[in-house]
Amino acid sequence: MKPAAFTYARPADWPEALALLGGGARAQAGGQSLGPMMNLRLAQPGAVADLRHLPGFAGVTVTGATCRIGAGTTHAAIEDGAVPGLLGRILAGVARRIAYRAVRNRGTIGGSFSHADPAADWVAVLPVFMGEAIAFGPAGERRIPLDGFLRGLFETALAPDELLRAIELPLLPAGTRWGHWKFCRKPGEFSKATACVLAVPGAPVRAVLAALDTPPLVIADAGALLLAAPEAEAARIVAGLGPLEPWRAALARTALQRAGLAAREDA
Amino acid sequence: MTSPQGVRAQGVGASLLRKEDARFLHGRGRYVADITLPGMLEVAFLRSPVAHARLLGMTKPEGAAERVFTFADLDGVGHIRAVSGLPGFRISEQPVLATDKLRHVGEAIAACVAPSRACAEDLVAACVLDYEELPVVSDMLSAGLPGTALVHEHWSQNAFLETTRQDDLSELDAIAAAKVTRRLRTSRQCMAPLEGRGVLVEWDPRLEQLIVTTSTQMPHVSRTGLAEILGLDEGQVRVIAPDVGGGFGYKGILLPEEVVCAHLAIRLGRPVRWIEDRLEHLTANANCREHHYIVTAWADAGGRLLGAEVDATVDAGAYSSYPFGACLEAAQIGSIFPGPYTLPKFSFRTVSACTNKPPILPYRGVARTGVCYALETTMDALARKLGISATAIRLANLVPPEAMPYRNLVGKVFDSGDYPEALRRAMASVDLAGIRARQAAGECVGFGLAVFCEQGAHGTSVYAGWGVPIVPGFEQATARFSPDGVLEIRTGVHSHGQGMETTLAQVAHEVLGVETARVRVVHGDTALTPYSTGTWGSRGAVMAGGAVAEACRLLGERALAIGAALLQAEPGAVELSGGAIRRRDGGAAVTLAEIARTWYRQPQNLARDVDKGGLEVIAGYRPDPDTGTHSYACHAVTLRVDRDTGEVAIEDYLVVEDGGTLLNPMIVDGQVLGGVAQGIGTALYEEMPFDAAGQPLAGSLADYLLPGATEVPDIRLDHMETPSPWTRFGQKGIGESGAIGPPAAIVNAINDALHRFGAEVLDLPATPARVLAALEAAR
Amino acid sequence: MNRSAISLTVNGAATTLEAEPRTHLADLLRGGMLLTGTHLGCEHGVCGACTVELDGAPARSCITHAGACDGASVRTIEGFAEDAVMAALRAAFTAEHALQCGYCTPGMLITARDVVLRLPEADEARVREEMAGNLCRCTGYRGIVRAVLRVLEQRRSAAAVA
Repeated sequence: MKPAAFTYARPADWPEALALLGGGARAQAGGQSLGPMMNLRLAQPGAVADLRHLPGFAGVTVTGATCRIGAGTTHAAIEDGAVPGLLGRILAGVARRIAYRAVRNRGTIGGSFSHADPAADWVAVLPVFMGEAIAFGPAGERRIPLDGFLRGLFETALAPDELLRAIELPLLPAGTRWGHWKFCRKPGEFSKATACVLAVPGAPVRAVLAALDTPPLVIADAGALLLAAPEAEAARIVAGLGPLEPWRAALARTALQRAGLAAREDA
Repeated sequence: MTSPQGVRAQGVGASLLRKEDARFLHGRGRYVADITLPGMLEVAFLRSPVAHARLLGMTKPEGAAERVFTFADLDGVGHIRAVSGLPGFRISEQPVLATDKLRHVGEAIAACVAPSRACAEDLVAACVLDYEELPVVSDMLSAGLPGTALVHEHWSQNAFLETTRQDDLSELDAIAAAKVTRRLRTSRQCMAPLEGRGVLVEWDPRLEQLIVTTSTQMPHVSRTGLAEILGLDEGQVRVIAPDVGGGFGYKGILLPEEVVCAHLAIRLGRPVRWIEDRLEHLTANANCREHHYIVTAWADAGGRLLGAEVDATVDAGAYSSYPFGACLEAAQIGSIFPGPYTLPKFSFRTVSACTNKPPILPYRGVARTGVCYALETTMDALARKLGISATAIRLANLVPPEAMPYRNLVGKVFDSGDYPEALRRAMASVDLAGIRARQAAGECVGFGLAVFCEQGAHGTSVYAGWGVPIVPGFEQATARFSPDGVLEIRTGVHSHGQGMETTLAQVAHEVLGVETARVRVVHGDTALTPYSTGTWGSRGAVMAGGAVAEACRLLGERALAIGAALLQAEPGAVELSGGAIRRRDGGAAVTLAEIARTWYRQPQNLARDVDKGGLEVIAGYRPDPDTGTHSYACHAVTLRVDRDTGEVAIEDYLVVEDGGTLLNPMIVDGQVLGGVAQGIGTALYEEMPFDAAGQPLAGSLADYLLPGATEVPDIRLDHMETPSPWTRFGQKGIGESGAIGPPAAIVNAINDALHRFGAEVLDLPATPARVLAALEAAR
Repeated sequence: MNRSAISLTVNGAATTLEAEPRTHLADLLRGGMLLTGTHLGCEHGVCGACTVELDGAPARSCITHAGACDGASVRTIEGFAEDAVMAALRAAFTAEHALQCGYCTPGMLITARDVVLRLPEADEARVREEMAGNLCRCTGYRGIVRAVLRVLEQRRSAAAVA
């Protein structure tokens, strides 16, 4: 299980990264998804552009009410509190349950999000926020709403000549409630159903249902999931997904209900 | 452990910390992939992408004619034949590289050789294969139907063997208070030792000898098989098993890859190495454990079994693997199904089905894990039907201690033990009333039991009957002092986690009194150790332990004679104790180290009539009778079922186990705990599904789930120690035991939880999908 | 075959190796430097046998390729001779019979050391969760979990005394 041969380049700045991309290189951040695929020869890029040393690739900055997370920020950094406040606590809880610590130390939020594996954690969580992905292309930065970023399985709104530079999320006010539930039989396993529910005071409740071998479903008005008996609403949402194996449908319903319950009980 | 005299105990029964740990803890273990030789070439195999096809040809990459080898390039290499002497056995010829047909996904077709594995894989990718697909035999139950394609075209049907036994069960319907029938299935598994297989071969032109360093449990058997297939004298093959990263049965096979690498090493005159990767392990190489049962059992109102009828099929895959063959598993079902019970009547039919899947190997527990699952779930079904407890039905049928030694209706002889007591001890340690109260309060919790016994260290008389390529005889060991007085033990079994470098040193200490720190246990090299069939069948402690004890006893007699002469005493006036020969009257003593020095370096001081054999003894050992020891155990599980997700959470796992005298209790605990973890995998997680085209569907450890630290609870262990009357110290084989009970106990507990919803799980592993499907079906 | 020079610090010593960019770090260590204590169990990042310390934190050496390691600092199981936490873990692993075949042990120890240092208050459930990315096929994990807990408790009592 050794990768096919490739050339390796480490761009020093973003324009150089774009140039490599234009030349057919595959962008790599932490390499925790691409690495295994390359070892299995499921991915055979002729060239790899390692983005990890780009200026500003990793790191978190807060400006006003917006938190900008560099695409190269590792899951472990987020787990360890790189993002401040309530938002940070929510993201830390998600990060802690991604794969294993040794993978989180290398894997990045931007790499995972742009890889767009339907079972991945950030794919299932980021679209719930009213935030934006910051793409960088030949024309400079472009903003893509997070809930429009994922276009399909392993498919995003990034143009072939664009890279994901950062994720911008709104800081969350006090009183925000959060629920997140995913079904893994063991830590690190790919989720078989994930749901999250975000209730920001004064805004419609939002939810995401994901990890069902389909792109994540964003539910823009998910208030019914916060009710005492969300079963019917969960069943309605899942029925709308189209045919699922019965057990996956059951997990999907449970995910919505339990994420809703967690948000309801979130103080 | 400290004795009353304050001496740290080192002998039999001491939980001595392991001698082998230090090298592993510092990363100094030496596994086959750690060894490199100058000029070494790496091999990658082109493997079949399809399950069944006629192989029409293979085009080698441009310019790679001398680096890519097909069967046509291997001069004089035979096929692997693992024949059974059982009547009706159909013989498969397994080519080491495919010839005219492809019979399973992953079957090796060509060996590609390069300076690095990566470059060898590049060659594989550049080969062009031409084949014509054939209908695939992917289902063992329909494999034998008329009109099905034949895996081996000269056979009349897709079965290696069928075995039967017929008792008259016709009256049971009329007299039984309860009759149940269950259709049950266990999954196809991959054994998944953390280290895969691997082999490094070099040809020594001076000795005209192959040096085969390979990750095996049975170096001597590999040597015999390799020599036969390569057409070499056995003396021209030396097999070394270095540190081996787990076996569990997976490394008890002669591999086509080993044969090919051996041939290439001779042909190319360079060391050749193949290291199995995880993808090959999961999708190309041998599997295990795929059983299907239809069980019918009858009992009277008190729960006493009146009879049982079993129709069992095992998916043995495409080839009979060397040395255990394709039918060990299925044919054993007939002999071990009665379990620990006094079953009065029994009929069975077993089929070793041949399919387009990789061959199977006996995995830890061999057929017992499936049999225990089938029998113990059936016992619970009977109990539920009769309205009696799972405990009561077992107590009504377990072989009682006063019947020991007990010969059951198929001729198995149980050596010793109190089977009912194991169950009673378990129940005394479980809060069953509490579980029942929680159930009454609506909690979906369940309690399950499995009681079983494990035949281990079964010997000549048992295996001669199977007629497979190996029949274990007298197990031999060498005991010798080196000139510095260090005791060297040489054994033909192999230790790959079992801690035998420690336990065999303890045995030597028990007999000779030499400090275990001064005992070296040498294993894993056919040039250095006496012949042995190796490590399998829970035989190491009994067979190698007995052989080492006997060799040490004889060595002690030699030393005693020399020591008596040095002490100028009659042999009857001295004794061996504490590592020295001492005058019985409490006078002078001479240490074994001094005796060693005398023999080797001061022979002028030896008596004229000294035994010229010196201080090196090889001794053989076999228990009498040699039908094997029977350890036994009761597993008791409490768990919770999430009815929304189908997920199972084990709350408590208790094992009451009797392995006879424990040579090293800490190590025995480790064996049981590790076995239970693997059994939990069988019960809940591990499954290699194949689609109808015979494609394996779990291509990574993200799909093939192995239990981790979060899936295995802190298992409680309780030991009984009923010595076997037949073995040297009373020890019993116990290495596989832990892996036998979990599927039965866990599914019994799941079904105890689901019973009040009318649901029952029948197929392994009990995944969320299966639990939810059972609940749905009952709705 | 394109080979390039990879400079890295391994167990404290700066070194430069020629390697193909596709060579993964584990092969680089095992082949080029004879540091065979780092084991390969799956080569797709799941089993944890190849875990090393990379730039100060545990990482899978099987899915990190050579090019990406240029300039990195690596510590393997062979590089902890002077480390008191590793010494305590080794003693605890033996005392708790936390290893059998030894194949998972180096990766297990490197993960365990990170847990002990990063999560000094970890309880059994947390230790199990943190160790879940390292598979062992032999021990059933009881000894491993107890060994990690033993070292955590030793350090907590030592801290309390201090």
